[in-house]
Amino acid sequence: MQKKSSSFFRNHRASFILLVAVVLLPFIVGLFEGASPAAVWANQGGISKFAEGLGIEIFILALYALSYDLIFGVTGLLSFGHAMFFAVGAYLTGIALKTFALPLSAVIGLVFLASIVQALLFGLVLPRVKGITFALVTLGMASVFHIIIMSSELGSYTGADVGLQGVIVPSFINPANERLRFYFVALVVLVLIYLLYQRFVNSPTGRVCVAIRENEGRAKMLGYNTFAFKLAALMLSSFTAASAGILHALYQPIVSPNVADLSFTVTALLIVLIGGVGTLSGALIGAAIYRLLDFGLRRYIGENASFITGAIYVAFVLFIPYGIVGTWRAKSFRIAEGWRRLLAAFKT
Amino acid sequence: MSTFFRKNLLPLATLIVIIIFFLAAAQGMNSQDFVITLLRGLSVGAVTFLVASGFSLIFGLLDVLNLAHGTLFMIGAYIGWTVFVRPDTFVDLLTPLALALSGFTLRDVYPLLSDRIRLSLSMKRILPWALILVSALLFILVLPRYPIAGWNLDNYAQSPVTYSYMADQGTRLPPPTVAFDQISPALAIGGLLLVSLLGSFGLSLFDQSARRSPQLTWRSYASFVILLFIGLITFIFNDALTNFLLGLNANWLFFIAVIVATLSGAGLGALMEMTLIRPLYSRPIYQLMLTIGLSAIGVQIVQAVWGRPEFIMPKPTLFNGSGASCPATNFSSWWQGNCSTILLLGGRVRVYNEILIPIIGVLVLIAVWILLQRTRLGMIIRAGVQDREMVEALGINVRRAFTIVFALGVGLATLGGALAAPSMGLSNAMGESLLLDALIALAIGGLTSYPGAALGSLLVGLIQQFMIQYGQIGISIPFTSLVLKPTPPIVPASTVLLMVIILLILPNGLLGKKE
Amino acid sequence: MQTILDVQGIHTFIGQYHILQGVDVRVPAGSITALLGRNGAGKTTTLKSILGLTPPRQGKVILDGREVQGMRSFDIAAMGIGFVPEHRAIFRDLSVEENLKLAERAKGDYVRKRDFIFDLFPDLKRLIALPGTSLSGGQQQMLAIARALVADNNLLLIDEPSEGLAPVIIEHMMSVIRQLSAQSTVVLVEQNFLVASKLAEYYVIIEEGRSVRSGMMKDLVSDKAAIHRYLGAA
Repeated sequence: MQKKSSSFFRNHRASFILLVAVVLLPFIVGLFEGASPAAVWANQGGISKFAEGLGIEIFILALYALSYDLIFGVTGLLSFGHAMFFAVGAYLTGIALKTFALPLSAVIGLVFLASIVQALLFGLVLPRVKGITFALVTLGMASVFHIIIMSSELGSYTGADVGLQGVIVPSFINPANERLRFYFVALVVLVLIYLLYQRFVNSPTGRVCVAIRENEGRAKMLGYNTFAFKLAALMLSSFTAASAGILHALYQPIVSPNVADLSFTVTALLIVLIGGVGTLSGALIGAAIYRLLDFGLRRYIGENASFITGAIYVAFVLFIPYGIVGTWRAKSFRIAEGWRRLLAAFKT
Repeated sequence: MSTFFRKNLLPLATLIVIIIFFLAAAQGMNSQDFVITLLRGLSVGAVTFLVASGFSLIFGLLDVLNLAHGTLFMIGAYIGWTVFVRPDTFVDLLTPLALALSGFTLRDVYPLLSDRIRLSLSMKRILPWALILVSALLFILVLPRYPIAGWNLDNYAQSPVTYSYMADQGTRLPPPTVAFDQISPALAIGGLLLVSLLGSFGLSLFDQSARRSPQLTWRSYASFVILLFIGLITFIFNDALTNFLLGLNANWLFFIAVIVATLSGAGLGALMEMTLIRPLYSRPIYQLMLTIGLSAIGVQIVQAVWGRPEFIMPKPTLFNGSGASCPATNFSSWWQGNCSTILLLGGRVRVYNEILIPIIGVLVLIAVWILLQRTRLGMIIRAGVQDREMVEALGINVRRAFTIVFALGVGLATLGGALAAPSMGLSNAMGESLLLDALIALAIGGLTSYPGAALGSLLVGLIQQFMIQYGQIGISIPFTSLVLKPTPPIVPASTVLLMVIILLILPNGLLGKKE
Repeated sequence: MQTILDVQGIHTFIGQYHILQGVDVRVPAGSITALLGRNGAGKTTTLKSILGLTPPRQGKVILDGREVQGMRSFDIAAMGIGFVPEHRAIFRDLSVEENLKLAERAKGDYVRKRDFIFDLFPDLKRLIALPGTSLSGGQQQMLAIARALVADNNLLLIDEPSEGLAPVIIEHMMSVIRQLSAQSTVVLVEQNFLVASKLAEYYVIIEEGRSVRSGMMKDLVSDKAAIHRYLGAA
């Protein structure tokens, strides 16, 4: 399937067009309302600011889903505690900024360390439990974390069940005044990490991760220390999810304890399944569809939206069997195969 | 015997440690508190077990993590409530239900019919969809005109909350009479029958693997006629049946409600397996998405039909008395007064919650155990859990076993829901929390082990209730004068922590088998 | 001679891997036919494709004159195939007796065949109440074969009967298979060429998912070059 092509750009034409479209999106949306690009640039309110906000949320979700796809889709670890990775980033950022007034760079360093630590914590149980048991243990760890941030003893730091409010966001990236900048920062983080992930998956390390998903026993037999590879994937994933958490804490006025809940992990799972397991780009597409679907349905249907959402998931599973990207690839693969067969028939 | 100990050293050691902890914890309690907490734990454990055992049977044989299991438990509770509090609604529903199902009994006849039809290829593709569409349109047209006595969520006086309260007071409201809305009864019934026939024929066109044998056709004609007959009988004797149920002793009505909830759960499970789960056996991960989606749909349906407010299902009169002789002091005085509580070691024990439910839990445990160990179906299930392919290679129709197990599992969950409704109350969130409990119980006991489901549920129930109790009285830590009072979040945390610890020591749970 | 099983050019995929790329096997009724080939050549997949456990995407499987490809595997098996899989697949949670009873296709099969089975494998009689887990490798192999005999099967598919067994037990196994071939046709997958050559009358060699050579076993035995080429050192 892989073709050597002279141009990098030609190979990724669709991705580039999409990227340019996403960059231009706030300005185009602004034009609909009659706002000039300059006005959009100056962060004046209106519909384009709203679209930026939606975009930022999608980028954060995409980052989070991407990190889940790395451990679940690529490496094959089913974790039910992934929300904890995200929530640790979000809460740590919020508390560090609000209570300890640390500078943002220090916060990022701190979150980086914390994400490594929690990946190690999850990694601790890796050699012992597998498959669904791993999912349950991680669920347990995340539930304990959820209970900790919900507890009234730590209420002064975490805001208990109300959520963490009043985080002082550095003014140069404040989503209220500098939303366009925030939009681009989030986009750049997403694109960089996506490229990093592509690189990782195609690197020898990533290949071993895929091999672990396919058949861990065989990977072990080939002499790979599968534990180390799984741990590496976990660390990268944990760091990515925590970064998404940082952005979330900076963007949202309240960090709700719901982000540490099982249902938030399920969100990641759904996004990845919508997009296509193990495809990486599926996580991005899935996040956009998930957020827009949720937004649109809530807006136009209201309370009963989740009935429709549920029905859409069921229909998805039945009619788009391998997620959007997965099904697309299978189809184009099959179409290509069909062409080849047809051409072969003409030759003889 | 010694090999048994050597082989099971780790689980045994874990069990012993748990028991020691348990005994140490019981130190600070007086016997009255201890017994009541123990019974409450048994009660919670029994309900958890009903959900967990079904979940584990399904997971073991079918490899399906049915995350909709909690929602199905909740639906069971609401169905039970409907039959118990509003039998008139239940009777009204019987006719449309029987008619709607009747078409599907002809599954084995349709291939004979479709073989006769000669159509172009494109027509053949469109036909099933067209049939289903017409059927759905007809359904939307006819059903709202068919008289079904219900409740009104917007009017408090006619809301489920009020009906529930009235039933508890012993008055079941005279049903508001509903009539056919601009449609003649014959047309409505004929329309529903047509809906069923067209819809099932359309669906059957998708399924190419249906078998054709004269014996099967004969049987399906017979069941079609029987269902049709049931539909018509319940229609003609609608009032008589309603009055009979309304006049019935509340205990019998409750019994009927539980049976109906269980059977409809089993039916729902069979339907789910045949239509939605079956196409996904080759894609296990996507089953998660499907069951999550179904779960969301189920919760929404419950909200739309029964409303959001929580309400309590009344207890059957056998457990609801509060006369002069209550609380009862012994069994015979309970029997005379039908007291809701009984005195045990000086403490009041609720008979329904803390005695009846655990007893039913044990009965179900034994019944399913016998099914698994003593019947051919049980043999197929136990063998299929290990190696589906080999069972199939022996010439056994494993698919049918799959459907039966799914129906059984969901039936157990709805049974649990109907039983738990009077003790837990009905709410939109009851399913979710119970699913989590059941998952924890299964992780502790061993995911696909049936005795493991029982042991895990028991532990979860006991630990939860003891933690709640300690939240009130505090734990005195040995050798110190400190008293630790667990705050409410500790209750879920304690079971979760136990699960994590046990899984780290025994990755397959206490009674799970090594892979 | 009548053909009981005729496999014609089957192609089988497992996931996206094209495992069988055109396998033909003709099995004369009442014979023992051995499928030979190196590890991973597709012998086991051929057996599973016949049974529909890994349904072939192309080609035909004709059993007793009837095309069975695409049928559900339990329906194929119920036409009279006994399957003895690689690694035996004894049901651990079932006792030896239950393992046998499960294989009943009509009520009373087990009671009817019990004596015949215990004549072949006297060991099983005394193990009857034990759980499947507690058997040794040889005993498991006996049980796996016995299980295929409970129902009236006229075709037995036996995968690697000698694998991991002591020489004495292999001898026993061979005599049992020879006895069985008097009543039913046997298709044998065997790594051990010595065992296969002593048992089988016909052979099919499968190499990289294709059947490359077939014929009478006695012709193959004398063709040292072919044995070396297809099966490695013999």
